[in-house]
Amino acid sequence: MLPAECSRRLVAELRDALDSCAELQRQLEQSLRVSRRLLRAWEPAETPAPEPTPGPEINEEAPSSACPPSPQDLKELELLTQALEKAVRVRKGLSKAGEGVKAHSLKSGSTSPATRASAPPSTSHCAGSCAPGTKPPRGIRHPWVPAKDLPGRRLLLVGDGAHMGKGAGANKPEAGLRDQQIIPQAAPPVPEAFTLKDKGALLRLPEAFRKAASRNARLWAQLSSMQTGDSVDAAAATAKTQFLQKMQTAAGQPGSRLSSAEVGRLQKACSLLRLRMREELTADPKDWTQEYRSLLTLEGLQALVGQCLHRLQELRSAVVEQPQGPWPEGPPRAASPCGGGADPMWSPQLLLYSSTEELQTLAALRLRVAMLDQQVHLEKVLMAELLPLLSEQEPLGRPWLALCRAAHCLLCEGGQRFLTVLRDEPADRLSPP
Amino acid sequence: MGRRRRRQPDPADAARALPEAIAALSRTLPAAPSPEIFRRAKFDRPEAAPALWRLLFHVLSPLSADSASVSFTLEAQVRWVKSVLHSQGYPRLALVQLQDDGSQGGRELLLALAWLLARGPLPERLLTQSHVRLGDEMPVCECEALASPGPPAPRVEAEGSVDIRHLQWLMGKLQLRWRNLMAGQQEQCALLGKNPWQRIFCSTRLSWNLSGLQLLLLCGTCPPADLPAPQTQIHSYTRGCHSDRSLGHLSVTETELLRDPEGGRQLLQRLETENARLEAALEWRHRELVFWRWMDTVLDTCPLEASPPTFLPRIPEPGAGAAGLPVRELQALQEELQALQEELRKAVEARRAAWQAAVGGHGPEWRAARRALQVAVAQDLAALQWAWEQGKGQARPHGPRRLVRTEARVPGRLGLWATEATEALRAREACLEAMLHQLQGQCRQELARLVGVRPGLIWVPPPAR
Repeated sequence: MLPAECSRRLVAELRDALDSCAELQRQLEQSLRVSRRLLRAWEPAETPAPEPTPGPEINEEAPSSACPPSPQDLKELELLTQALEKAVRVRKGLSKAGEGVKAHSLKSGSTSPATRASAPPSTSHCAGSCAPGTKPPRGIRHPWVPAKDLPGRRLLLVGDGAHMGKGAGANKPEAGLRDQQIIPQAAPPVPEAFTLKDKGALLRLPEAFRKAASRNARLWAQLSSMQTGDSVDAAAATAKTQFLQKMQTAAGQPGSRLSSAEVGRLQKACSLLRLRMREELTADPKDWTQEYRSLLTLEGLQALVGQCLHRLQELRSAVVEQPQGPWPEGPPRAASPCGGGADPMWSPQLLLYSSTEELQTLAALRLRVAMLDQQVHLEKVLMAELLPLLSEQEPLGRPWLALCRAAHCLLCEGGQRFLTVLRDEPADRLSPP
Repeated sequence: MGRRRRRQPDPADAARALPEAIAALSRTLPAAPSPEIFRRAKFDRPEAAPALWRLLFHVLSPLSADSASVSFTLEAQVRWVKSVLHSQGYPRLALVQLQDDGSQGGRELLLALAWLLARGPLPERLLTQSHVRLGDEMPVCECEALASPGPPAPRVEAEGSVDIRHLQWLMGKLQLRWRNLMAGQQEQCALLGKNPWQRIFCSTRLSWNLSGLQLLLLCGTCPPADLPAPQTQIHSYTRGCHSDRSLGHLSVTETELLRDPEGGRQLLQRLETENARLEAALEWRHRELVFWRWMDTVLDTCPLEASPPTFLPRIPEPGAGAAGLPVRELQALQEELQALQEELRKAVEARRAAWQAAVGGHGPEWRAARRALQVAVAQDLAALQWAWEQGKGQARPHGPRRLVRTEARVPGRLGLWATEATEALRAREACLEAMLHQLQGQCRQELARLVGVRPGLIWVPPPAR
């Protein structure tokens, strides 16, 4: 059993690690849920008008305005609904079929993304909805069942089909029956269901939102430019420094205080130096200039590390001299590897990518780095707690051996592999009596 | 119509300036009390204290704690604020002598708030923290990936001593969680965007030590819905929609607001609130001079502090150093620096020896080149040192960035390219891996030393992978 203090600290650390991991998972799942929901067909009540409506509220975007449907629309609606229902039936039947053919249909689906005319395969995540290849009469030539059912419909869906919904897209066949599908523009036909894939390019953000967003950007720009100073700013800056000095002198505390900023700087120095050292050690010098340069850099880094250590010693001795204050125990400082010099002012920064793979690599790498970071931190914490414990305990009993073995597993193998301890019996014990 | 005559400065304006400045401050800070409270605080009125404690708590805690703040009692908030202020180097001892129930000390709290405001751009920083993100944000450095230290959640701390096996179990649980997290992320993205037939089926066993690229290739349990990452799909489907040409497409957040009008309304409301706070911050910046003059008068009304008290109202915990920093942390830093120094020393020795051996007789041009190199390296290292001295870690500011899909390598786009960010992350990954291995090696040596003194035992290491 480990001593209580030690146990509490270690358990707290591990629990924190578990919590942060769970938090990451939660965020990932949530963003995925949102994205997936967007890629499916949208609920009818939420279908936006493709054109920007000049209303002052977002509410008006929801097509819930006053044009009554004409009888012809209703008739078309009926036909479309029937087609939808049939599509859903077919899809249900096909979703039981193998997954293998879905890939093929996806492949054929991807060859014609541009032609809006063809009724598209159902949106991304409906598994098996476009795997009709298993059905013998259909064949693979016609991967889109609804299209086959509605040969005439296809013409209607062509071109400025901004107003016409795609039957295959909707998940709910009864969606088409709702009357509030009407777009408040002059276009008569009712949009069936909105899918991002088809009509994503026609979306427009609501006016109010755009105004608010541009005002936001403008205000931030103004705030950033203010920081770079004008006369009012300079006067305020001097007033502030004077105030701080007054605070310091009025406080009656002698000398310089160890501030966490100093330690933070040293921690940042440490990580930057280490990163640089790693770069130099892994670089491959091609000629003697590079070799020499690398050598000089390493020596320079060594000198800098020496300086940092010296400064740290000074700080530590200063700390020891000062009386223990009555302050409550402070929060643990997390050493942020990037130095914590976060920009206090937001500014629009972009991360540009050009392919899905790039983004995925980046995301995976981010997770991996976060995991490694946590591992290194835990390793240090465990080392600090367990190694002293082991060296303190003297007896060569079973508990100590067990502790040793467990410590080795945790510290040296990342908790994954165990070593074996054998007792080495002296030979004479085995000899016959 | 002549030019307008310059008006004489209205004395009433001066009288109004201070309340307006304080009003602007109150409008821009989160959870700020009314301006009246500030005035009362100067005269040390008791009703001002709790409101100001709460304000300080909100100002000092990171965003993640805001939602949990309701669960903290005033007393817990008071204690936490005291400790954070101390760790930041707050000079006045009178603050810590205030009672924990938060009922007194309005003036001291006002001074503390002013101190925080004077040290840095506090309203701006808070606004950045709570900024409404309209894009799909991805942080490129992981300093925010894991939780920053906020107030400790009111957790059951009834732990006594535990067996080390409990720790092993927790560690295993952690590993499993990471494994699931990474596998889940890979499940949800396509392995290969275009051609699903080339999917590689491997076992789902993820090892701790895989490189990022290897991870990408492992996805044993891809569900049927295995298509290109939903985010990138949304980006490509909404191309050309955005009113802002430099962005080009909608983000998930923006598309979501189109889908869900109610959510959109809420987002709009948050934007409007932020705009109001931004305007208040701008107004504050214009008016803050008069506030500082007023704060000078507040400071003057405080009695001069005596020398630090000679008695300790609280026995500090062993291991807690002064200035709120655990000695342990300093020790850890020292060890890290020493390890670094050791590694550098070995590398330098080896390379210097090799260099001396290799360098034969070089001519005078060698000396000139050598000097040039020395200068270059010195500049390089000075820049590195400046990086941590000045508090700017990298050339680029970090923080989450908005994802924008764009054609490859279009010149003139301002922003960080994903490929560059990936390179930087790979370097960091290599560094961390090396550090982990080095630490593990250190442990192995230490353990070997500890057990080496015990005769009669054979230690059989686990089989190497």
